[in-house]
Amino acid sequence: MKMYKSFPGLMLFVAAAMVMLLAGGSAEAKVRVVTSTPDFAAIAREIGGDKVDVESLAKGYQDPHFVDAKPIYITKLNRADILVYNGLDLEVGWLPILVTGARNSNIATLNSPGNVDASRFLTGVLDVPTGPVDRSMGDVHPRGNPHYMLDPRNGILVAKGITEKLSEVDPENASYYEENYRNFEKRLELKIAEWAKELAPYKGAKVVSYHKNLNYFTRWAGFEDAGYIEPKPGIPPTPSHVAALIKKMEAEDVKLVLASNYYPQKTPRIISEKTGAVFLSLPTSVGGEDGINSYFDLFDAIVGQITSALQSKAGAAGNGGSMHNG
Amino acid sequence: MSVRRIIAVLVISLIVCQGLLHGEAFAQGNEDIKKELNELKQMMEKMQKRIDDLEEKNSALEQQAREREEDVMVKDEDVVVKEETVTVPATPSQGAPQGFLSKVVQSLNPEISVVALITPTWYSLNDPIVFAHNDPENTGVNMQEIEVGFQSVVDPYFRFDSFFSFRTEGVELEEAYGTTLFSIPLNSQFKIGRARAKFGRINQIHRHAQNFVTLPIVVAEFLGEHLNPTSVEASFLVPVPWYLELSASGGSPDVETPTFGRSPDANNLGNLLYIFHMANFFDVGESLGVSLGASFATGSNASGPDERSNLYGVDFFAKYRPLKNNPYQEVSLQSEFMWRQAETPEEELEDYGFYVEGMYRFAKRWNTGLRFGLTDTNTPIHEEEDHDHEHEEEEEDEHGHDDMLGLLGRAYRISPMLTFNPSEFSRIRLQYDYLNQNYGPNQHAIFLQFQYAIGAHGAHPF
Repeated sequence: MKMYKSFPGLMLFVAAAMVMLLAGGSAEAKVRVVTSTPDFAAIAREIGGDKVDVESLAKGYQDPHFVDAKPIYITKLNRADILVYNGLDLEVGWLPILVTGARNSNIATLNSPGNVDASRFLTGVLDVPTGPVDRSMGDVHPRGNPHYMLDPRNGILVAKGITEKLSEVDPENASYYEENYRNFEKRLELKIAEWAKELAPYKGAKVVSYHKNLNYFTRWAGFEDAGYIEPKPGIPPTPSHVAALIKKMEAEDVKLVLASNYYPQKTPRIISEKTGAVFLSLPTSVGGEDGINSYFDLFDAIVGQITSALQSKAGAAGNGGSMHNG
Repeated sequence: MSVRRIIAVLVISLIVCQGLLHGEAFAQGNEDIKKELNELKQMMEKMQKRIDDLEEKNSALEQQAREREEDVMVKDEDVVVKEETVTVPATPSQGAPQGFLSKVVQSLNPEISVVALITPTWYSLNDPIVFAHNDPENTGVNMQEIEVGFQSVVDPYFRFDSFFSFRTEGVELEEAYGTTLFSIPLNSQFKIGRARAKFGRINQIHRHAQNFVTLPIVVAEFLGEHLNPTSVEASFLVPVPWYLELSASGGSPDVETPTFGRSPDANNLGNLLYIFHMANFFDVGESLGVSLGASFATGSNASGPDERSNLYGVDFFAKYRPLKNNPYQEVSLQSEFMWRQAETPEEELEDYGFYVEGMYRFAKRWNTGLRFGLTDTNTPIHEEEDHDHEHEEEEEDEHGHDDMLGLLGRAYRISPMLTFNPSEFSRIRLQYDYLNQNYGPNQHAIFLQFQYAIGAHGAHPF
């Protein structure tokens, strides 16, 4: 019985906790938006303006498949009014456990008012497996390729969805959000036309990318996917696969090797050296490189890097000179 | 579409057959038959109506999908006209049409996962010293554990997670608990059911997600394979700039553990098992995360009606993972220290122990680590049986080992480890254990563990 003496200490511990709990919790007027990746954060900022506080859990230079489920994210999610995430199983390894821990009925389930799976706003998803699938095909996403934010047209659809959600949660400012959306849509459509024009001369160019995460971009840009450096999604390249890929690239005159800047750069570099194709390590999310602070910056950077690489390549070929690759 | 029709027809014909059989067996008066036929007719009419409804619904859905498709096309044409350039934006290809049925299946079944741990093992001793239940038992190929999980949201208010641990000798209900999903004052959350208790760090991590083949000695000796009482646990997220969670749980230690057990005086609330935990997490820059915790558990130890055990623990975990440049490299350090006071009718025992493990992931699929673990006691107990007893008794002793209160002396173990993960779903792990005991023989062991995970994609533990 003598061990009961430890109970008062415990009670003190619990009481102290209660006091701290009661001390917290101030009322803020702004809508708090947490997003899984920075692309959604950038768009939420465009729409929400100064009426929202926006924060992204993952960084733009981070592989969104493998984000650490740091407990600190739970505190951010705990206070969120809206959670915007990519869906299509992109964050399956880290986000659900955080959402459960967040104790927040705004976002807790698929049906919660602030739980926003942005893939719901899309009109189409690429690479949905049609036949039977199993994991001998690598880490397949049975519901389709989740990297849809790399098609700038999807930015408009997602912005529209976020606008609706913000208006629902904060109806007082609905017209403000709507106006910001109109503005954003107009600017993005103009930019899309501009980027399309820049990319037009290279339509049909064959590209090889590291992972399937660039498919939305290449398909929008009118490039042809000639292969992937990963033999299967999520499986690092093997020498035999790389050798076969090099052969294929030489036969098909592939001009570009692309990889997100969070993927290993060594193999793509070797492949580009062997084949004479240009290798570009691209930022593939807002914040992926210094200076990329908006959804516009992101495509300015990607389109800019690709067109200037293809241009210099065409120039070099035209001069009959040797090829210089990064 | 046609599948549904076939199913409906099958169901109807089944009912009809059954009805006819019933009719035959019991048809004594015409009345009965008429009544049943009428019932059947009604039933069929209802079914037909249902089928019609479903067909209508389906065609409406198809219509919607078609409209959406057209929408997209129109939109794309718009863009082309506006741009007046050569580039024709590719239409995002439509996803494979997901049937009505597949959606139902997808949304209503819980997520199912199966993880198997199979471990070829070599022990230097003929009667190997094994500390935890799910450690490899013998020289040979050991089926360490097959963990089957069913997890799902229950409704807007709760989710339910259950895990069954299959071993050669039987099944254990490892976890089965509901978790509240709705906001409760004080940022609290309740977990109701059997769950791995929030005591220290490793106790909350399933075997297949741990970093080594064997459980640290201190954990095996003090908590057993895992401390998973059936209880009600409340945890509070404290609004401070870092992550601070306080939790308290009360429940029944209905799974015998070395430190806690069901008291013969089980109906006394004071004799239940109470566990308290404090978890802190700090972000030190974006690359380094540090977590610090303290735990306390108190409850009956089943050695007598009023005999209690108190268990104190502190845990530390730090992970360094640079987000830029080397995205798949990480270094982590994890340690736990535990101290136990236990009353028995004869004496008061004081035992303690700790482990420290360092991990280095040097490539996307490779990691290596080293663990040192030690347990010691201020009050060594004396083993009642000698070591050179007959085999049968030794076997009994081994099974009883998990439930033994008190330590014989000092033991330490050093374990280097190398792991290769062919994919996220399989793992091959090589480990060597050197065990040194000041009360018994030393032991060498080599493990080659194979892990397979199928089904739902699990969470990556932090």
